Amino acid sequence: MISRRGFLGASAGAALGALTASACSTAPSGGQAAGAKTLRCWDHFQPRADLHKKLFADFQKSSGVAVEYTVYNPNQQGQALQLAFGSKQLPDVFTTAGVQLPHARLRKEGWLAPIEIEKEALSAMPADVFLNGFTHFEDKLYSLPLVNFRQYSTLTWYNVELATKAGLDPERDLATWDGFRQAARKIEAAGGDGISGWIAPLQFAPRLGEHVTELSMAAGGVGAVDPRTGEYGHARDPFVHAIEFLVSLKKDGLLFPASTSLDARTSRARWSTGVAGLFFDGPWNIGVVNDQFKSFLDKVGVAPIPTSEAGREAILYASPKAGDYCVAATSQHQDQAAELVKLFTSEEVMLAETEQMDGMPVNLDLVDKAKVHPTYKTAAGIFRRQVRLRPAAEVRNPGASDVVAEMKQIEPNLGGIVQGVLSGQLKDVRKALKEYDAKLTAERDRAVKAVAAKGVEVTADDWAFANWTPGQDYGRDKYKTS
Amino acid sequence: MAVTAVPEAPAERRTRRADRPPKGSRQGRNQLWVWLFLTPTVVLYGVYTVYPIIASYWYSFVEWNGFDADKTWVGLANYKAVLADPLFWNSFKITVLFMVAVVPLKVLLTLLLALVLNSPKLPLRTLFRTAFFLPVVTTTAIVGVVMQFVFDPASGPVNVVLRELGLVADGINFLGDPKTALWTVVGVYIWKWFGVTLIYWLAALQTVPDEVYEAAAIDGAGPWKLLHHITLPLLKPFAVIITLLTLESTLKVFDLMLTMTNGGPFYATEVVEIYIYRWAFAATVPQLGFASAAAVVFGLFVGLVGLLQLAGIRAVRKTRSDR
Repeated sequence: MISRRGFLGASAGAALGALTASACSTAPSGGQAAGAKTLRCWDHFQPRADLHKKLFADFQKSSGVAVEYTVYNPNQQGQALQLAFGSKQLPDVFTTAGVQLPHARLRKEGWLAPIEIEKEALSAMPADVFLNGFTHFEDKLYSLPLVNFRQYSTLTWYNVELATKAGLDPERDLATWDGFRQAARKIEAAGGDGISGWIAPLQFAPRLGEHVTELSMAAGGVGAVDPRTGEYGHARDPFVHAIEFLVSLKKDGLLFPASTSLDARTSRARWSTGVAGLFFDGPWNIGVVNDQFKSFLDKVGVAPIPTSEAGREAILYASPKAGDYCVAATSQHQDQAAELVKLFTSEEVMLAETEQMDGMPVNLDLVDKAKVHPTYKTAAGIFRRQVRLRPAAEVRNPGASDVVAEMKQIEPNLGGIVQGVLSGQLKDVRKALKEYDAKLTAERDRAVKAVAAKGVEVTADDWAFANWTPGQDYGRDKYKTS
Repeated sequence: MAVTAVPEAPAERRTRRADRPPKGSRQGRNQLWVWLFLTPTVVLYGVYTVYPIIASYWYSFVEWNGFDADKTWVGLANYKAVLADPLFWNSFKITVLFMVAVVPLKVLLTLLLALVLNSPKLPLRTLFRTAFFLPVVTTTAIVGVVMQFVFDPASGPVNVVLRELGLVADGINFLGDPKTALWTVVGVYIWKWFGVTLIYWLAALQTVPDEVYEAAAIDGAGPWKLLHHITLPLLKPFAVIITLLTLESTLKVFDLMLTMTNGGPFYATEVVEIYIYRWAFAATVPQLGFASAAAVVFGLFVGLVGLLQLAGIRAVRKTRSDR
């Protein structure tokens, strides 16, 4: 018979053994999933998740390789990737949502592997979505784009039922800031108790920053950095006026009261319950509504971003985009991972992706062929008309990527300043924006020096493009003469 | 001089002792068992507590964004940057303000309720004790999310009641207004952790001997005199410990604050823990070295509070041994 001591000793030994064994068995090596026949894939494309699951199931049937697929909230994906990289567990294929470092830097730091896909396979994609310094490095593909640069996140989405009740003609009444304010007022009056004119994700500072930057361009601004001089321009009139426009909506009592606690997802969810008439969001709004709030689908209408004054056509400048799907440099199955990424290059799959109504597809013409909600087609038309490609220092000089990566975040940033002004804690918006510009300039100068000290040839002048013409795309050919 | 004869051990016992291994070897084996049983704790504590503390000290001297493979040694630069950042001091001020607001309220309110719940005359007192303890075992993050709905200015029950009673025309933006956000979290925190301090007081009240109350009652002392001259003086040593424990616990408010306000609006409720989290994980380009330096500075502050606690415990021990 076993003694008490013997029993306790054996138990302790068994516990220790189990602990050791479990510690060993849960540590993947080199970013590998369990078993060589499995790839791991992380992305943030919620509206496309069902389609991706189906594509990956088909991929498993044809190749025998299973895909462990995880869809992240973009806010959390950056943290997950940060921890995964630190613990050498990067997934084989991933998007870099939430990681603000340029791909050039990620490549240098050992995140990204070249994606070996033959050029013919990429022929269905428009050539202008590929750009050295963004999707390519040294002419090798490092990230496959799924989303077009020609889009923005401040479309005016409206509740058709409330707009009709208020007697609005959205095309006419939502065209300008004054019109937007009046429309919000009419919606509140016609909607009755508990109905607000405008709902906004005030807790989500980065999105607020995007809204203000885009509204500033709808007021004649050229964005956060003036492409002609390379200087930061947050303290200029278009930004100040855009913030004042948002403040006026709040002062007039047109803002949904709980907006201060809402991020993009929760404000969209509240908007789709019919508590507010107007909501700024990107083209993916209709995809999410279709996916999660189907009963609201018929009540959704869309209009372009409102401009500061009547008769002004908004021109918004968008930076070139890095690609979306990347292959991990630590993956032991880079060939199979490239095969998985290759799925997304065929026209058939791109069309199916478009029908999920997420971000705009790289080939905007696909929207016309796709079975999508009418608002998605309207949005594509708006983007074609209003969005232009802006120049990027990283394309002209890859060293600029190092500077961007070296720069530390300035707090409060633009979104934070907007939050402060809206909550009444910041009284002088222009002063706050001037301080922000000064800190950004000082930080960029410091970063340029730090990077130059490592032997990289880069100066602040790399951000200035004398040959940039407002209102025009800055295509690849322009860099040759810049 | 009388000599007391030591009785001889029975024959059987003598035999057993003779069979045992020598004393040194037995002690060695005992030591081995002690260490064997301690090993899991030592290993887990080392890996999940000691190592992160040491690592955070190391990280505080480097510049690292968590995405790069390399870390750059920067000496005390992170500490200088943290100490020069007005937002760090803002978060420090809010942390201290939160502590100063919560501790007296929580300690006094729980004492009052404990006195009531300790009364043998109170019916259903076990039920009440359980009811007050229930929020303690509820997940904090869930409480935070639910409270966002409870205090929703548009449709939250609190505002609905206030409007129905005619006390306000429009809903109060409890969590979105910088003037009310911190105090709303203070209220929820006290409610959430009320049960813990209540249990401390109830345990302390059990230590007051019934005979003392009985003797005082025979001498004609009424309830107020019993409280003033017996209960409160005897609770004094416990008050020191309970206050210090409460004080220390208010420094751990990260989950509730993050889920209720996320540190906003515009840093109005950003306690140091959220400040550290923001720089380590939520910044566009995380600054783990900077965040670690802030964590070390905050850790030293917590250490100071711990020293205060130690001094309090010693003072209590001294008081008890003097009695």
